[in-house]
Amino acid sequence: MLRRTFGLAAAGLAASVAMTPSLGFAQEGKKVTIGVSIPAADHGWTAGVVFHAERVAKLLMAEHKGLNVIVKTSADPASQANAVQDLAVQGIDALVILPTDPDQLVSAIQQVKDDGKFVALVDRAPSVNDNTIRDLYVAGNNPALGEVAGQYIAKTTPDAEVVIIRGLPIPIDQQRQDGFDKGIAGSKVKVLDRQYGNWSRDDAFRVMQDYLTKYPKIDVVWCQDDDMAVGVLEAIQQAKRTDIQYVVGGAGSKDMIKRVMDGEKSTPVDVLYPPAMVATAMQLTAGNFYDQVPVSGNYILDATLVTKDNAKNFYFPDSPF
Amino acid sequence: MSVVASDTAKAPKTSKDWDMAAIAPFVALALLLVLGYFANPNFVSVANLTNVITRSAFIAIIALGATYVISSGGLDLSVGAMVAFVASLMILFMNTGAIADPMLMLIAAMLVALALGAACGLANGLITTVGKIEPFIATLGTMGIYRGLTTWLSQGGSITVRDRGLQQLYRPVYFGDVFGVPIPIIVIFATAALAAFVLYRTRYGRHLIAVGSNEEVARYSGISVQKVRTIAYIVQGLCVAVAVIIYVPRLGSTSATTGILWELQAITAVVVGGTALRGGVGRIWGTVCGAFILEIVGNIMLLSNFVSEYLIGAIQGAIIIIAMLVQRSLMRK
Amino acid sequence: MIASPAPREVSVTLSLLDASGLSKTFGIIEVLKDISLSVRAGEVHAIIGENGAGKSTLMKILAGNHQPTRGELKIDGQQVSFSGPVDAEKHGIVLVHQEILLAPDLTVAQNIYLGRELGNGIAVDDRAMNEGAAKAIHDLGADIDPNAIVSRLSIAQRQLVQIARVLLVPHRIVIFDEPTASLTPHETEALLKVITDIRAKGVGVLYISHRLPEVKEIADRVTVLRDGRLVASHDTSELEPADMARLMVGRDVAKLYPDRHAAEVREPVLQVTGFDVPGYARDAAFTLNKGEILGFAGLIGAGRTELMEGLVGLRPAKGTVSFRGKPVAFTDVHSSLKAGVAYLSEDRKGKGLLLTKDLQVNLTLASLGKFIRGLQIDRRKESDALDKAIRDFDIRTGTKTILAGQLSGGNQQKLLLAKMMMLDPQVVIIDEPTRGIDIGNKEQIYKFIAALAQEGRSIIVVSSEMPELIGICDRILVMRGGRIVGEVQGEHMTENEIVQLATGVNVGSGEAA
Repeated sequence: MLRRTFGLAAAGLAASVAMTPSLGFAQEGKKVTIGVSIPAADHGWTAGVVFHAERVAKLLMAEHKGLNVIVKTSADPASQANAVQDLAVQGIDALVILPTDPDQLVSAIQQVKDDGKFVALVDRAPSVNDNTIRDLYVAGNNPALGEVAGQYIAKTTPDAEVVIIRGLPIPIDQQRQDGFDKGIAGSKVKVLDRQYGNWSRDDAFRVMQDYLTKYPKIDVVWCQDDDMAVGVLEAIQQAKRTDIQYVVGGAGSKDMIKRVMDGEKSTPVDVLYPPAMVATAMQLTAGNFYDQVPVSGNYILDATLVTKDNAKNFYFPDSPF
Repeated sequence: MSVVASDTAKAPKTSKDWDMAAIAPFVALALLLVLGYFANPNFVSVANLTNVITRSAFIAIIALGATYVISSGGLDLSVGAMVAFVASLMILFMNTGAIADPMLMLIAAMLVALALGAACGLANGLITTVGKIEPFIATLGTMGIYRGLTTWLSQGGSITVRDRGLQQLYRPVYFGDVFGVPIPIIVIFATAALAAFVLYRTRYGRHLIAVGSNEEVARYSGISVQKVRTIAYIVQGLCVAVAVIIYVPRLGSTSATTGILWELQAITAVVVGGTALRGGVGRIWGTVCGAFILEIVGNIMLLSNFVSEYLIGAIQGAIIIIAMLVQRSLMRK
Repeated sequence: MIASPAPREVSVTLSLLDASGLSKTFGIIEVLKDISLSVRAGEVHAIIGENGAGKSTLMKILAGNHQPTRGELKIDGQQVSFSGPVDAEKHGIVLVHQEILLAPDLTVAQNIYLGRELGNGIAVDDRAMNEGAAKAIHDLGADIDPNAIVSRLSIAQRQLVQIARVLLVPHRIVIFDEPTASLTPHETEALLKVITDIRAKGVGVLYISHRLPEVKEIADRVTVLRDGRLVASHDTSELEPADMARLMVGRDVAKLYPDRHAAEVREPVLQVTGFDVPGYARDAAFTLNKGEILGFAGLIGAGRTELMEGLVGLRPAKGTVSFRGKPVAFTDVHSSLKAGVAYLSEDRKGKGLLLTKDLQVNLTLASLGKFIRGLQIDRRKESDALDKAIRDFDIRTGTKTILAGQLSGGNQQKLLLAKMMMLDPQVVIIDEPTRGIDIGNKEQIYKFIAALAQEGRSIIVVSSEMPELIGICDRILVMRGGRIVGEVQGEHMTENEIVQLATGVNVGSGEAA
């Protein structure tokens, strides 16, 4: 399943992180190896995943003497399964994995878990997602991504007429749509149209041009993706239409965060679904070994609303995404 | 005896009769315009039609090159990936800042794009002709190579023109107009006019059609089949470069997903335009018309209120088939 | 012009098939007018006529491919009308097409049963089909492996497979449309035997051919068509081949071959020594003189076509070739054409002409350089060239915008000749110049060939028709198994001597028809 995700890092704690008192030994200097298996960079978001994984690997190794982090990228499920086995052979203490396709990788992950290693699963969950297969699950929140955007629009422009550009017809896209509807429920916000833009800039440009032809007045565009927002903004600019008050994207690409930070009126906010979630998982995993707190459970990241005030926290100018 | 009736049945069909086939796509286009009007009166507004035709520029121009390749009996599946590859390198070149003067930089970048397009086309041509690999497989291979190199260059992300000033200078190439006619539309018609001249009026064009029509006859007539085919792939590469030159200023950036499936759209435009996939017939203006039809079908779907967003793909497919049926029935007449 | 006797009344009682007053119009052109004929059980009824006389149209009406515009058909005295070929087959009328219509990549048995495979409804029964095919082929007196792939068979073998396929349908009347057009004399003999056997079973045979001696040999009755009309119908015993030719053409064609005077001085133009075309021809050596017509005889597969293709650069080859005193090595057709050596392929439709393009495009294809003005092709000049070619080569076409594929075989050959002559070559190699061409056009093509030699050009004619070689050539080289095995000239140019050289066997005398 193509799973494209967005959103923020820092962490709202939506589920349980069990914390038990430590036995009090000094853990610093202990030799620990963490294997990180992630998809190869095939589009913006996964490129961000690779960037953040490598960035945090360096940070963690600098922070903890004796910690070794090995990051491996794989293009498809088969090669990722091999990569996981290779990591296991090298003798890892923990595995952090963002599976290309979780269901195809279940058995490879299970094997690591059965060997008594610590397993952190990121973003994409297999059908069975409980503590038999992993210790920690870190993920973004797709319904919340829609809901946060919907709530913002309902609050800022209560009578807005909105056009929506969807992604591809897959479940997470539907979750976001449902979340959005929940977010605007009870307000006077009216949805004029929903069409697929395939998470592509060019298609979003085309759909937006046609919206502009079809509707003489549009207040807000929700396109739930920063890549598509690029095409949307160009189409609006070309048509020289002034009725559109603002555009809400999603994910947290550096270009969009920069716009928010710079206070561009056309993009007042963005909603996070951050590739940095892999970094969160790595940090929590390292914490399991070096801090006084063993970690387990589900760790669902908030779809944080990025505004002019907090944008600088989420701006990574060196990231490819 | 002035008329010898041929033994092979049917009233003598002359080459004049084929003109009907050339008109057919335009009839289909006209019917679509009427359909569009009923779907949403805004459809026939100048603003909308200008938008749609401008948008079709990329596919139309790429499809012009595809008309050459297909007429010669070949096929090029790599064009979509080639767009992403050439555009990425073009932007990277612009980002080097090698030339200080922005106007000179822009011109140099365009020349770089054309050279890259020609080189990619040459590679495709040599692999199919000298390497004697089926064009389907050869260009499927280069499609993977161009796409993969683009992903590598962009590290999976996007490649953006960094110099704002350069981007502003370049922007009018997509968004600008001359006496109210958007520049991409002018580029479509200029490229098509050039393509038509070469195909219909020059020796190379005649040789191309001969090679596509019957390779053996061409060979026995002293025509270098390999050279003719290779040049067709180079023409395709140049058309891709022209499309890139007007694509880059639109968004000022490319990504690893730029141009995905454009090869199929280009091939569809060519076929809808009346060019036979088996080669030997090339219809330049039909191809342009085919590209318009593809874009207009999508536009009508979006503008109409009676098609669910889930069904758009199905209706688009059906309309293309109906357009082809209209054409075929006109051709048989 | 001989007076055409009125069609003779024939006994109706024995007729399987009676056609009366058949007419067929395409658009404004009346292709057939008021044709009446009958086919009796156990007879071979030949239909002869020039191309365009309406033979094929008549056959297609009888086989259900066309509906007549007027007239009626009766089978066993019952009036019938066919909705299509399948309907005609139900009435027992089957047609063996002139062209070979087989799937080249399938086996003999698969072709024979194509579209009517044996089996249990799910899987096909290859064994039963192979056995059936073997029997069908054996019945034709042939020996072809039912498992052989058709593309590996000779033309004659394919022809037999095609006949076997058709005869598998229960039949009372078999129509053969020019079955011997591409066969060698030996193969033709074998095929005529097959037809005789079919006749012996009480089947009625309609037989179309250009080869009049054959018709004389095999047919019981002959019907002659000309310009869509029936001009004569006789018992074969009443007509000699020369009479048939006269009736077909409507004038005296006793002089099929032009008078020739061989050049007095032998001035070599093309000298070939030690020339190999790997896999096809070995160590070929010959000299072609100025103004000479040199024939190449041999059986199919003797390597004649391949030798010529090697010479002009169409196939990899090596050896010494000297053209007008200078050594040359043609690596592709472009170089040989440029030097002045033109090759006209035996495969007019597959390698000579673009059938789906008009005459103008075909005429100038090899010589476009002459029609370039600036960057463009000068279409006016092209059109003038076509007018001239139509005049010079007597290409008969109602309209200039017709497609090459719509010309008759003879006119296609004239167009191909015109196309190559646009380059003004000094050496013209013509492979099977008259294959599938009717007698009127043949005569014209011989005249053109003679005229070209008269102009001082040197001609090589490759042909499987020995009378033709003997009729027009100054000398004939004979090939066998890839080697030139002999040369005949003067009074030695007889079919007997050529066949002996071509087969390597002394066949005695008197066999040639």
